[in-house]
Formats: sequence, C-alpha cells, structure tokens
Amino acid sequence: MSKSETELWAALQADVDGLNGPGITQKTRLETLPQWDSLAILLVITHFEQAHGIVLSGNQIRACKTGRELLQLIPR
Amino acid sequence: MLSSLSNIRIAGLALSTGSVTRDFIADGLALGLERAQLERISQTVGLKERKVTAPGITALDLCEDAARRLLDEMGIDASAIDAVIFVTQTPDHSQPNNSSLLHGRLGLCKSTAAFDLAMGCSGWVYGLHQAALLCAHGGAARVLLCAGDTLSRLTNPLDRATDPLFGDAGSAALIEKTGHAPAMHFNLEADGSGAKSICVPAGGARLPATPLTKQEIKDAEGNIHHAENLQMNGSDVFNFTLREVPGSVASVLKMAGWTPMQADALILHQANRFMVSTIGKKCGFAPEKTPMDSVEKFGNQSSASIPCTLIHALGAPLQEKTLKVVACGYGVGLSWGSVALELGPIVVAPLQSFPKL
Repeated sequence: MSKSETELWAALQADVDGLNGPGITQKTRLETLPQWDSLAILLVITHFEQAHGIVLSGNQIRACKTGRELLQLIPR
Repeated sequence: MLSSLSNIRIAGLALSTGSVTRDFIADGLALGLERAQLERISQTVGLKERKVTAPGITALDLCEDAARRLLDEMGIDASAIDAVIFVTQTPDHSQPNNSSLLHGRLGLCKSTAAFDLAMGCSGWVYGLHQAALLCAHGGAARVLLCAGDTLSRLTNPLDRATDPLFGDAGSAALIEKTGHAPAMHFNLEADGSGAKSICVPAGGARLPATPLTKQEIKDAEGNIHHAENLQMNGSDVFNFTLREVPGSVASVLKMAGWTPMQADALILHQANRFMVSTIGKKCGFAPEKTPMDSVEKFGNQSSASIPCTLIHALGAPLQEKTLKVVACGYGVGLSWGSVALELGPIVVAPLQSFPKL
C-alpha cells in the first residue's frame, strides 16, 4: 500500500532537520526557513535515494518552492 | 576501463600531514558565524579538525618527507627505484613537474623515469594503476608513487562550501614486482561533462591570473570567492558519487570474486564523514568495515586521503597480515577509480606532520 502524503512528509522531515520545526508544513516556502541551506539539500538527496531509490540533482531540489513540491518529485 | 594486473604488491606506505591544526567550530566563530549552526554542520557532516601546511610548505615537501621516511623504514636505497609518479593538482610550478623535482631531491638515477598525473581525489587509484602497469609490463621492479595536495591554499577563507573541508598531506607508496601476488583489479572511469562541478577557473592557460581574477564575488549562498579559488558545487558532487561509486565498487568486487561480507575493508576517499557513511552503506559494507574517522582528524586530503586512511585505520593489522581491501577515489574531473587488492603484510611508516612537531 502506498504511503499517504502525510506519511511521506513526516519521513522527509525526520531525515532533513531544516524542514523540521514548529509551524513548518508542506506549504511553507522553503526560502523562508533558516536552515534551508546546502546541508539541507544534501540531506534531501540522501533521503530520496534511500527512501525512494532516486538520485535528485541539486538544481531539481533548489527549483522547489515548498515541501509539497519536493514531495511531487517522488515517482508515483 | 577494467584492468587486472598480477604479480605486483604494495610493499610500504607513508604519509606526512600539514603541521597546523584548524578547528571547524573555532574558525567559524572567528568569522562571526553562529555556534548552533556550526555544531549542526559539524555533527551532521563530520567536520571537526584538519591539518594544513605552514606557510611555504608544498605538496612536494610533504611527499618528499613521506618518501624519505618510507625508504628509510624499508631500508631501500633511492637507486633501487625505477620510476617515480607524482599525483597532484597543486604542483610547485607549471613547469617543471613535481616528479622531476622530487627525482632531483631524492637523488634518483638518470635511468629512473619520472612523470606527474594531474589528478585529485581519484588520483591515488589512478596512480596505483600506472605504477602497477609499469611493474607488470613496463620493465620496472620498484615504483615510488607519491600523491599529495595542498588544497587549503586554493580555498577562500570566506567560502564556507570549500574552506572548512580540506587538509593538506603528501603520501608515498612503494609498489614492487613480485612473483606470487594475486591480481589487483581496477575500474577507472570519468565523466568530463561534469568538469565544472569542481574547478579553479583562473590561473591556467585558458584564463591567466590577473588582478581581475582576484576580484571577490558573493554567490547565491553567501560564500565569497574569486576566480583563482577552488570552487565546488557540493550537491552535484554528492549526486555524482551516489550515482557512480556503488557501481564502481561492485565491479571490482565482482572481478575479485568477493562479496562485501568477504572483503575486510572499504576505503573510500574521505570527502567528509557524511558522504563516506552514506556511500559505504549504499555499497553494501557494514559501517565497521568502512573507516571514516580520518577525515574528522585530518580533513579531506584529496589524492592522499586513501593512503592516509589505510595507515590511520588499518596500519597495525597491515603490518601483520593480508587484508582484502577495496578502495575507491572520486572527485575532480569528474573522475573515479576503484581497486580490489590483497594488501599486506607491508611496511607502514608512522603518520606524522611535516615539519615534525
């Protein structure tokens, strides 16, 4: 059974500290997060590789404006 | 390119580091950065300390020190060396090459061949392949392989994407022809389409150094550098290693007929602890077989990081017995190379700084 958006988001937040904090949701603009930096991008690359088996480029991740857009990179 | 070469052994290893210790947290605080943010990066990526050279010391000096200590420890006269290979991207001069300078410093014979390989983090494996080729097919009985860099000289102190990463070191390895050693199995690969991912744009023939190339700019992430500095797109490099290294390691394991369980160690280029841990896991190796402590103590030493890790993590057992070792270097080029070999017993000179403290 495929995971829900909520479960996918929770798993991403668990691996990427920059996406984890009070009030941060899938709709939060990533550029407003203080820890949305080059380290967070490395952690997103690692999460996608380990959880979903795909290797994203830094540019793919930087093009996302919100957490929801990050989740849309997961192959369905 | 796949290649298997038989009846060659690594007989000894030595490495000399820079003598100045730099602390990641203290350096960041001195630049006005927040302690919490520095500790977050330190814990996640594994940046703690690194050893850099004192002013005036170059990769040539570090490798000469390592080579002299190795030859002394092994009781081998310089006249017994048939070739010297110097792997570096930070030579003393554009001309002459470092291997010729080292040839002169060590007083090697005129019959000793000397050439450089301008390679970085993959360079030790490429250099080992060249040394093994000279022994297997080139008429050499003993080859001195020196690999070292002083990348800390190329980074801008205000570029937090590069400056905290690099330590300086020079290594020496003696490769010998022998009658009874199992094959070394290599896979050497490259992807020049990613060449700009790790780059020093100016200072070469394409864009000579001028006052303009020293003008600093601030990039999108707030890092400051100029065109003569080492610049790196960290996410692109990480992406490339995740994509390419596991397959490269798997290929030499297959050539050797080993599984990750049967190999004793996976020695990865020590880019940083986070990368080594992530890639080691993807290669199917248990964390205890993937040493990753040396980068937290010495920094990313470019082509010297694999010999440093061999000495730091496996120096004691390698003096006593044979280990099944897989090593993989990856980086500038982009290029990457893996080798599977049975290593030991060998002579290991102690790790030490140059000048010795």
